[in-house]
Amino acid sequence: MLFEQGISRRSLLRQSIGSAAALPLIGQLSSRAFAATKGTVQFADIGVGDPGGDWSKYTAASGWGVNLVAFGNAPSAILNVLIAGGGQGTYDIINIVGGMQKPLVENSLIDEIDTSKMPNWAKDSFVQKYLTQGTPGFDFIGYDKKIYGVPTVIQGDSFAYLPEATGGELTSYGALFDPKFKGYVALEDNYTTAGQKTALYMKAAKLATIEDPHDMTPGEIKAVVDFLIEKKKEGQFRVIWNSFEQSVGLLVNKEVYVMDCWEPMVFVANSKGVKAVYAKPSEGYLLWAMAAYIVKNPNRTQEQTAAAYALLDFMLGGWYGAKITSLRGYMTNPQAVSYAKANTGEFSADEAAKVEAITKGVEAKLAQGGTWQNRWPKNVETYESEWARFKAA
Amino acid sequence: MALRPGDLAGQAGGRALMALPAAFVSIFLLIPLALSIVISFWERAGFKLKPAFTLASYTDFLGGVRLVVLERSLVAAGISTAIGLAIAYPIAYYLARHMRRDLARSILFLFSVPFLVNYVIRTFAWTYLLGRTGPINEALQAAGLVGKSVDWLLFSDFSVQVGFVTSYMPFMVFPLWLSISGIDRRLTEASWILGAHPWGTFLRITLPLSLPGIFAAAIFGFVGAFGDSAVPIILGGVGYQMIGNSITSTLDVLNYPLAAAMSSVVILAMLLLLGFWFLAFDLRSFLGKIVRWRV
Repeated sequence: MLFEQGISRRSLLRQSIGSAAALPLIGQLSSRAFAATKGTVQFADIGVGDPGGDWSKYTAASGWGVNLVAFGNAPSAILNVLIAGGGQGTYDIINIVGGMQKPLVENSLIDEIDTSKMPNWAKDSFVQKYLTQGTPGFDFIGYDKKIYGVPTVIQGDSFAYLPEATGGELTSYGALFDPKFKGYVALEDNYTTAGQKTALYMKAAKLATIEDPHDMTPGEIKAVVDFLIEKKKEGQFRVIWNSFEQSVGLLVNKEVYVMDCWEPMVFVANSKGVKAVYAKPSEGYLLWAMAAYIVKNPNRTQEQTAAAYALLDFMLGGWYGAKITSLRGYMTNPQAVSYAKANTGEFSADEAAKVEAITKGVEAKLAQGGTWQNRWPKNVETYESEWARFKAA
Repeated sequence: MALRPGDLAGQAGGRALMALPAAFVSIFLLIPLALSIVISFWERAGFKLKPAFTLASYTDFLGGVRLVVLERSLVAAGISTAIGLAIAYPIAYYLARHMRRDLARSILFLFSVPFLVNYVIRTFAWTYLLGRTGPINEALQAAGLVGKSVDWLLFSDFSVQVGFVTSYMPFMVFPLWLSISGIDRRLTEASWILGAHPWGTFLRITLPLSLPGIFAAAIFGFVGAFGDSAVPIILGGVGYQMIGNSITSTLDVLNYPLAAAMSSVVILAMLLLLGFWFLAFDLRSFLGKIVRWRV
């Protein structure tokens, strides 16, 4: 999720050296660019929302520049930076995986979004379709019937597998627990992804009574973790992965054949010549969205706030959506496909086709359904302590 | 004897010079540590913390699975320290006793080279080397030593120990070398002249006199491994956790009192270890050698 597809260590190193050599020049150019703008919007992002460093269209339209800063996605990192690290006075917008409204709102760290300030909001049919109030998708952008996040990415996750090693297509999360692949399975170290996918499987396979994998009771979480511990003790899992790089390595080195992961990891593995497939499980997908929040800062000027809203509106637009889909492999907004197709000078036919295919693919996942990831479930502390039990077992 | 004005100025300058590191240690180490201990007794009120005096966080920690993680951390760090000493001591001994000082310094410099490479990248390199399809497994199979890839090379206790030892053993060589090279050679020569066996000389003279260095090396190795969070994650496999990982995990649900309680127990364990060092060894016998060597 955090870097472009197909990038090799060597090319990354070459680019880094080149970038280092060009730093003084870039510094001069950027300071000139900022000097020519009305000001700069401070945009903190986990790595998904960067359109290759190109904010020129936004700057041309608004007169403002953008300073993108890398930001962690872990709840503790987000809250610590905003509360203790002076982030409220530093950042205008944070773009992270959504669903963090409860701790952010209750700690007075983000502002309610005034959707009327963003013309593209009304054009984003995905909000109405997938993230509307009263549905689990709303939990990614809203809290207490109010909107706090602007959806920048929507996606459905399942698991990856190496068909040549597994001997064919896999269509159930049951593959993660199939003794046939004992010792060749990896899970993500995350109770709201691996834990929820396991719950989705257990509910579908009637292995436990789980009312809603989206928000489990302590007893349901315990049942999920008991099942995982049983499988762990049988030697089912090779590793619990923690980073993008690590998980890609597991697939590329064929250390595991079945892996609970994100789709971009499959893209990277394919770009490295390894035939990996992202499964279409019968149980459905783990659905999630990224949300851009406006950081609460009473000292922010009206002009700065207006610029932040203009940036959010830009992110709901066609060019930004198509660019992010093309670069990261995630669905963004409904205008992305038509923009990519219509603007052949900016997006090649292949890129436009890719944007359309990805968007249609994610829409199909959303149509099938599954369970929405819950970043801050009611019993989040039980999730954490039970997951610790699984890892310590 | 009356002090001259120059002496007084020198004392004042010395105090001023000491004030800076003392202030640094107070502000950046002691105050945060004290705060951490205080917060460990506080209560949670929603997302806020409420000053109180409750042992709930300690009960939670000591009565739950996290205690298993603490035990594992102590055992894993202890094992890696023992392995590190077993490797570092002979190296330090050879450098101190059987190698020209200029050459020994060059070798010691080489031991510092790995630190120029990012620690996480170094650790990731092991996943490639020890993996099922990695060069070590391929070599073992090509040599006919094994029929299929050896799974326990990676994502196991073994790989965690490889990660710890390669990360912290180089740190251990330096104090050992310093300690051994500071031993008066006349003592070992006298032992030899009196007819002692080389092993007897080593066990009765060299080893006891190098104990301060051994303990310093052990502290470097143990503290490093005990607090490590990257090696268990990258090389540990199915949820291999050390105490640092467990503390981070509790922070993710904003359970600061529990994280503080766990940290306080870790600090207490480290203080006990250091206290033992001070009681068991004369620190001046170690630091004095550093001073002499530098002169």
